[in-house]
Amino acid sequence: MSDQPVRILSAGTALPGPPLDTQALADRFGMDRLWRQWVDTFIGTRTRHLAIDLRTGRRRETLADLAAQAATEALEAAGLSAQDIDVLVLGTATPDALMPATVNTVAERLAIDGVPTFQLQSGCSGAVQAFDVATALLGSGRHRTALVLGGDVIAKHYDVTVDLRAVPPDELVNYLLFGDGAGAAILTTEDHPGAPEIRAVRTVLSGLDRPPGQILNWYGLADRSEPLTPASEDYKAIEELVPELAEEIAEELLEDLGWDRGDVSHLLPPQLSVTMTDRITRRLDFPLAKEISCVAETGNTGNALLFFQLQRLLDDTAAPWRALAVAIESSKWIKSGLALERSTTGGRPHP
Amino acid sequence: MAALTRDRFVALLQDELDLDVTAADLHLPLDALPDWDSVRTLTLFTALEKETSRELSLPELLEARSLQALYETVTR
Repeated sequence: MSDQPVRILSAGTALPGPPLDTQALADRFGMDRLWRQWVDTFIGTRTRHLAIDLRTGRRRETLADLAAQAATEALEAAGLSAQDIDVLVLGTATPDALMPATVNTVAERLAIDGVPTFQLQSGCSGAVQAFDVATALLGSGRHRTALVLGGDVIAKHYDVTVDLRAVPPDELVNYLLFGDGAGAAILTTEDHPGAPEIRAVRTVLSGLDRPPGQILNWYGLADRSEPLTPASEDYKAIEELVPELAEEIAEELLEDLGWDRGDVSHLLPPQLSVTMTDRITRRLDFPLAKEISCVAETGNTGNALLFFQLQRLLDDTAAPWRALAVAIESSKWIKSGLALERSTTGGRPHP
Repeated sequence: MAALTRDRFVALLQDELDLDVTAADLHLPLDALPDWDSVRTLTLFTALEKETSRELSLPELLEARSLQALYETVTR
């Protein structure tokens, strides 16, 4: 961990458009009751938000729009202004453009300049990776207050004209699992009574000799006509490996911290889908922990998920608590986790 | 629309799901089939609805434990 304690002051989130239930997707794609029943049974997500107009397919919001909105909410909740931020870190799998980096577009929207910015090309562990980078930068004493961001917008891969009956299974799941959104958190080394401390951050690449479980391709002028699948998932590998990696990283964090399972009051499990999250939560087996999940309402928003969970966690003002978050990136397999602790005084829990 | 024959059912499994099965495999438990999984059931069920022009019931289809039982559910 870092030399100086790092605390989380607030979280903010943004979702585009109205919540879209499974009936709305079924209506758009001409699917029937059986299809809705299948999504309810095997995915379990009740609503999701998309940065496109489902009727026309036209794009409405960018990732920068959503991230700036989430950042504004987080700054307001922390009682800070954009000028208090002296470093930014953003994680995403779906930047608005490869250049300029979306983090810099967000900085411009917030009128932030003259500070370092970092963007991670990341999947579902991206929020934890961004926390890891920000915590290291703050803990070293080089910076005092970080804006950490994560989000994804899948508009590029969401073709509303497609015949879902003809989409291969490894592409079909993308239409059912994902939603768009962004999140933000303010981290600081300044002392704020009551603010939870980041007790551990751990991200571990676990992809050696493992084929990617998810692939997102991008195209340029020369290769745009090559037969590359834009987005595909090896969902069977994901079903098998994500619970295993989740259990590993949870054990590693507990060992690092010297915590027992019974010490954890809040569990923020991976948010692949309602059915997968339920399965992983049972396997993680934290009997006393309150589960904090968002996927039923937001869908899988990738790099944004942890921020939705954190926002709900921070709303729980009962002190003290100890929280453990786990996220797994299934493209080249990264296991990650975060531990937070709020003491009654807001000071360092265990000097 | 003609009734769904066993041969047509096998052809759907081969063509829509890319499953390497023949009529002799219909009695096998579903979980014994290589490459069988929940997402493929959605692909198969929607293909069966299209083929039979009938709205099928997911709970009834999920009770089937073999391809033969699935065929009987769809054609009864």
